[in-house]
Amino acid sequence: MTTSPSPGLYVHIPFCSAICPYCDFAVTTGGSERRGRFIEALLAEIGRDRGSALDGWDPFDTVYLGGGTPSALPVDELGRLTAEIGRRLPLADRPVISMEANPEDVTSQTVAGWAQLGVDRLSLGIQSFDAVELAFLGRRHDPAQAVRAVELSLASGLTVSLDLIYGLPEQSPPAWQRNLERAVELEPHHISCYQLTVEPGTAFARRSRRGEWNAPGEDDLAELFFRTHEFLATAGYPAYEVSNFARGPRSQCGHNRKYWEGARYLGLGPSAHSFDGRSRWWNHSAEPVWRSVVEAGGNPEADRETLSLEARALEFVMLGLRTPCGLDLGKLDGFEPEDVLRRNQRVLARAADEGLLSVEGERLVPTLGGMARADAIARSIELRRSRGFGGC
Amino acid sequence: MKNVRNFCIIAHIDHGKSTLADRLIQHCGGVDEREFRDQILDSMDIERERGITIKSNTITLDYTAKDGKEYQLNLIDTPGHVDFSHEVRRSLMSCEGALLVVDAAQGVEAQTVANLYLALEYDLEIVPVVNKIDLPSADVDGVLEEIEEDLGLDPFDAVPCSAKKGIGIEDVLEAIVTKLPPPKGDPEAPLQALIFDAQYDAYRGVVLVVRVKEGTLSVGQTAHFMHTDKEYDIEELGLLRLEREKRKSLEAGSVGFVIAGIKAVRDIEIGDTLTDADRPAPAPLPGYKPAKPVVFSSMYPLSSDDYPDLIKALDKLALNDAALTFEKDSSVALGFGFRCGFLGLLHLEVVQERLQREYDLSLLLSAPSVRYRMELSDGTELSIDNPALYPDPTLIEQAYEPYIRASILLPERYIGAVMELCRERRGEKTTFSYLAVGRVELTSELPLAEVLFDFYDRLKSMTQGYGSFDYEMLDRRPTDLVKVDILVNDEPVDALSQLVHRDKARARALHYCDRLADTIPRQQFKIKIQGVIGGKVIARSTINAYRKDVTAKCYGGDITRKRKLLEKQKAGKKKMMVVGSVEIPQSAFIAVLKSDSSS
Repeated sequence: MTTSPSPGLYVHIPFCSAICPYCDFAVTTGGSERRGRFIEALLAEIGRDRGSALDGWDPFDTVYLGGGTPSALPVDELGRLTAEIGRRLPLADRPVISMEANPEDVTSQTVAGWAQLGVDRLSLGIQSFDAVELAFLGRRHDPAQAVRAVELSLASGLTVSLDLIYGLPEQSPPAWQRNLERAVELEPHHISCYQLTVEPGTAFARRSRRGEWNAPGEDDLAELFFRTHEFLATAGYPAYEVSNFARGPRSQCGHNRKYWEGARYLGLGPSAHSFDGRSRWWNHSAEPVWRSVVEAGGNPEADRETLSLEARALEFVMLGLRTPCGLDLGKLDGFEPEDVLRRNQRVLARAADEGLLSVEGERLVPTLGGMARADAIARSIELRRSRGFGGC
Repeated sequence: MKNVRNFCIIAHIDHGKSTLADRLIQHCGGVDEREFRDQILDSMDIERERGITIKSNTITLDYTAKDGKEYQLNLIDTPGHVDFSHEVRRSLMSCEGALLVVDAAQGVEAQTVANLYLALEYDLEIVPVVNKIDLPSADVDGVLEEIEEDLGLDPFDAVPCSAKKGIGIEDVLEAIVTKLPPPKGDPEAPLQALIFDAQYDAYRGVVLVVRVKEGTLSVGQTAHFMHTDKEYDIEELGLLRLEREKRKSLEAGSVGFVIAGIKAVRDIEIGDTLTDADRPAPAPLPGYKPAKPVVFSSMYPLSSDDYPDLIKALDKLALNDAALTFEKDSSVALGFGFRCGFLGLLHLEVVQERLQREYDLSLLLSAPSVRYRMELSDGTELSIDNPALYPDPTLIEQAYEPYIRASILLPERYIGAVMELCRERRGEKTTFSYLAVGRVELTSELPLAEVLFDFYDRLKSMTQGYGSFDYEMLDRRPTDLVKVDILVNDEPVDALSQLVHRDKARARALHYCDRLADTIPRQQFKIKIQGVIGGKVIARSTINAYRKDVTAKCYGGDITRKRKLLEKQKAGKKKMMVVGSVEIPQSAFIAVLKSDSSS
């Protein structure tokens, strides 16, 4: 048995000043009154009677305030939240607290306030340094605000991450390259680069359906992906996941790594997901539904699933292949590494031939090309347990 | 017998035949308002959705006419599509008269003319009915003119109505009673009854629908089926109202049902004549023609586990569809399946849809083919409808393919485009004649194979919906045939092989290659697609290797969703056909086989 890593705590704050046209997260707009009621409900969820899903967790060593836009909440409201978390939930000695923020919310006062609350990492929703691209993405800040937000955050001593989006319609590779260059010049600790994905139900999906969309082709997107990885690696930001780049291991986001490493996490707030190593459950995603259940003293869980060993294995493989470290088959619960290797001999040999991965003992280690094809590889790996093989 | 009228309704698709039938039924109290569903006679889902009648239904109605007398009206429904013209013929043989429905907005169309000629062939009395007079675009005077000019019927006999709105229904019923003749026949003569339809009843077996022409049909009689030379004892008979109504006998002139312990529709021949075994008629009724399939395609279940279900489903369909033929077939790419014969493309589609809908089977169909005849150098002859059985081409002395005579009605202004379409499709003796000012009937002798692929769609679009099309089988003519194979990474996909005219081979092969390139998803490696005749490549396309498919974001809330998607894709992958280690999804076969616009 390996000693399992400490669990992480995620808190979802769904409010935004406006909904971005690409976003399919559980988000909502709402005035201060509604936000006030939300905080009360969140405090109530944290303080739910013991005996609930909140029980029995080892101390959390990471806390992640995501959204939505946590920075849209007043600092003192956030303070009530962190205080309540500290009072009610088991925390490690020095948990790393991360928080998402929008550039327009970043001022010297707010940054100082967040630092005061114990926030260590700030993930800034920059998305682009180009005014036209920002307008297209429906963002509420301009390039100057973006730069200012990064500088202020860095000056306050926080660990700073920038989110960027690529693969916009009509975006040329040089235009994307300029965004990357600008990001690197600012010397943040961490950069996340997400390919724009048109998710169902978003404003972009509607525009795409109406044909107002000149989406880049598969080859162009692949080109952008590889360029991004090469450029950032050269600039001192090697990838540690498909979309995440950091100056060094200490700058990586420990909370997000838990998702890819199969660690346990507890989620609070609307739509938040929790995982205890065997089961995953998630809260109602509409804020009013979640809130009305919590206000009535109920369990805001919308649904749950208990993962079969095969399902856990598939997740383990699909997530592991997203990282350059790959995955250790020895950690696959209920499977013998040799058995998995033997069953997939042909697939793995072919993937190795094509330069997608290497098999190092019991580890599968993807190359960059392999990370780009992580879904296809995960799909082709057979994870059936042989009959008569007893699990533990 | 004087108060009986046997009639059918004939019309072009969509001119409102079924709606009119429903109104007549409703007016005669065959069904009360509560039960009344639109288009009672079209009971299959597919019929309802497409607004066409495939399987005919027959019903007996009671009508008290303005002369104060009670009439028994036997409405013999006819299928409204060219594929089923043999069924139309049998229905017409059971009637003395027909209502010829013409849409007041659309006017006379090719099928209207074709149906009229058929009806006249059987000496039916015709009453024109101008339907949909309520439409804003209705042009009743124009249609009356067409009835006179195009059809040669007396426009003063025409009855205007709107079946949808219930206008003029009484006038239609009065016309049936006053203008159509009663049946003739002698109840005492030796029995001759025409089987013009049959349905399968899960409890009673085959239910025959018959028209008694001469003599009397009674319960307990031993019926002799004159063409198939079989005998069955009549267990039950009667009238077809909304439910079956038992009688002791059916006399000359009547239409009704017969149950005689018959297990499957294929045990009998529709169009056969029933006579009394003890007192037989000297000869069967004239005009018997067995239905012959002209279009062939192989059907494969997507999952080989479904093969036994496909056998069962085809057996069941055949209980009720005597025209459907099938025999075992197999494909390297697609596994075991059946080679099926159909009356036409619509028949094929109907069967496919019924198998998918009613039996929940996912199927792949190979490209439809006609049946070719080949004279081989050793003097033997071969009939081939399956490319898999194509002989060594050096042994073929001469191949022959079936031709049809197409009749196309269209406004004059489209004639150039449609003549070009016929030329492109290897039409011969393409000529036209004016039916009336601005309206033309174009006839062309076309290879049936050329009509199988989107001919009708092309015609419709190039005439903006005004062109209509009907055909009859002609003969077989010499042809220059080649077999085109499609290779994926150098391995043949046998289900995509086809027999085509040499002049069309390249275009067809290119079309297939392009379609496959569009629909086969990119894979880990480059995919080469080729169209070949023998060893010679005549078309090619390539699919570049996939480089990236990983999703950008995968955090707490995304993991379950992502895993489920992968699980689904994994299961889907098992359903894919693998040819030359290339995964070909069902959608690619469908895209290639479904709409073909080679030209």
